[in-house]
Amino acid sequence: MTTTSVDLEYLERAKAGKFDLDWLKNCKSEWGIRAKPSKVGLTLRDIAIGSYGVVPDHAPRRTMAPRGCDIDAEVPDIGYTINNKNEVWADNLLDLYEEAVSRQWSATRDIAWSELPELDPDLEHAMCQFATLLSEIEMLASDFPAKWLWRINHDFVEAKMFLCTQIMDEARHSEVFRKRALAGGGGLGKAIPIVEKFLQLVLDARNYDEGSALMHLLAEGLVLSVFRAGELLAPSPVEKKIFRLCMQDEARHVAYGTMHLRYRLEREPAMAVDFHDYLDRGEEIIAVMFTTPEVVEPAAILAAGSLKAAEDIGLAASDILRTRVIEEYLSRCDRAGLPRRGKMKLPESILAGTSGGQEGLLRVSA
Amino acid sequence: MVITESVIDFPSVEWFDFLCDHAKEEPEIYESLGFAFFKLAVELVDEGGRVQAYGIVFDGYDVISFGDVTGYGNFQPDATISGPLAAWREMVNNISANGGADSAHTLNALSIAEVPFQVRADDPLGKDKFFRYAETLQTIFDATSRDGESIVII
Repeated sequence: MTTTSVDLEYLERAKAGKFDLDWLKNCKSEWGIRAKPSKVGLTLRDIAIGSYGVVPDHAPRRTMAPRGCDIDAEVPDIGYTINNKNEVWADNLLDLYEEAVSRQWSATRDIAWSELPELDPDLEHAMCQFATLLSEIEMLASDFPAKWLWRINHDFVEAKMFLCTQIMDEARHSEVFRKRALAGGGGLGKAIPIVEKFLQLVLDARNYDEGSALMHLLAEGLVLSVFRAGELLAPSPVEKKIFRLCMQDEARHVAYGTMHLRYRLEREPAMAVDFHDYLDRGEEIIAVMFTTPEVVEPAAILAAGSLKAAEDIGLAASDILRTRVIEEYLSRCDRAGLPRRGKMKLPESILAGTSGGQEGLLRVSA
Repeated sequence: MVITESVIDFPSVEWFDFLCDHAKEEPEIYESLGFAFFKLAVELVDEGGRVQAYGIVFDGYDVISFGDVTGYGNFQPDATISGPLAAWREMVNNISANGGADSAHTLNALSIAEVPFQVRADDPLGKDKFFRYAETLQTIFDATSRDGESIVII
């Protein structure tokens, strides 16, 4: 067994009452800090005071030491690769973390599974396919932050903590949709390659910037819209609640992604070119979403109430959702400081009725 | 279960006070849903185009009725949910009749296609708060059907 420099003689000194006390006498961290709890308890914002509230733009060390503590010179370099604040920070991070912790829910306890009604087989098939897709894609949003978490410098611990809440949120989403598929007599549906190709794009992102833009801003924004649609289309109050609770979580992730991108671009505006490039490649998922039968058709059946009725209304429901998804995404891009109106490179049939493409932008401007 | 009916005009300051009082009556429900910090304006437009607005403030676990905020004045909402008075009446009646909104009458269902309700915000993050607190919002509106105080719309 290898050991670090274990000082066994210390045991003898301590037994004799000769304590070291260097940690007590020579500690250089700030003394006298008294954080006061606010209305909902002692929040991260309440403790962002004195030197402890100062987050460096560039982390001076790469250790796991809590920011603001006195760090022994021999504390080892952990080798973090994300050492600049603007790579992960957002001005709403502290509040979003607290909100995430406060608004956790349980897919086991908080959903009235025993009240799930027996559905017409068409509706059950549609709901199960929808649930299969969501159980599949939601775990990506756990995998992505997990992949990058250990690379983020501990000085940005609030960002790491928020990403931990996202990992838990998304695990719960995968859980709740898997449970829904198995609770109503239908079981899981079909996984399809085209969706997983987009998931791979996010996982293979060359850096956190690229992955965060694709996931937090683009993909989670889309899924937020899907959850909104799910709440509308849900065949019973049980699914309705599932979608509302998921919607809440997803909106937090989008709020982080939007404000992180804004923080990043305010400090490095030249990076806008890179972000436009990332989104040019990622936005294809919007076209995929609205041209894939395994996505479009279950939604149409749930909207219409049966397969026959869905065949009668065709893509009416899907078209409403498509325009809302794109416009809400474009608004978030504006807020992030990365306007995409008129820049989206998707087929006109996908951008119809929106201000995403050049033609749509001209039409809206006129 | 005996349901006694009390008459509260809708829309009115009293109705929105009643709506917000549920958080005081059953605080454990709102604590379990988690805190929220959100200012919402509820805007009702009558057939003549006249607008009335009422403010609701979600402050931690508290829900506070801000009264009539028509024209907003010193009330600065994160988001506004706006729709025809007739659609609001239908929603409130639906909640009252069913003990909570049915599929077609939740706040999200009524606003997703921007018809009949629209959710507006100067800042998209304000609009996203409408989704971040969706369950709290629906809970407090659904609770206007609570036992013993069923609302009758005038």
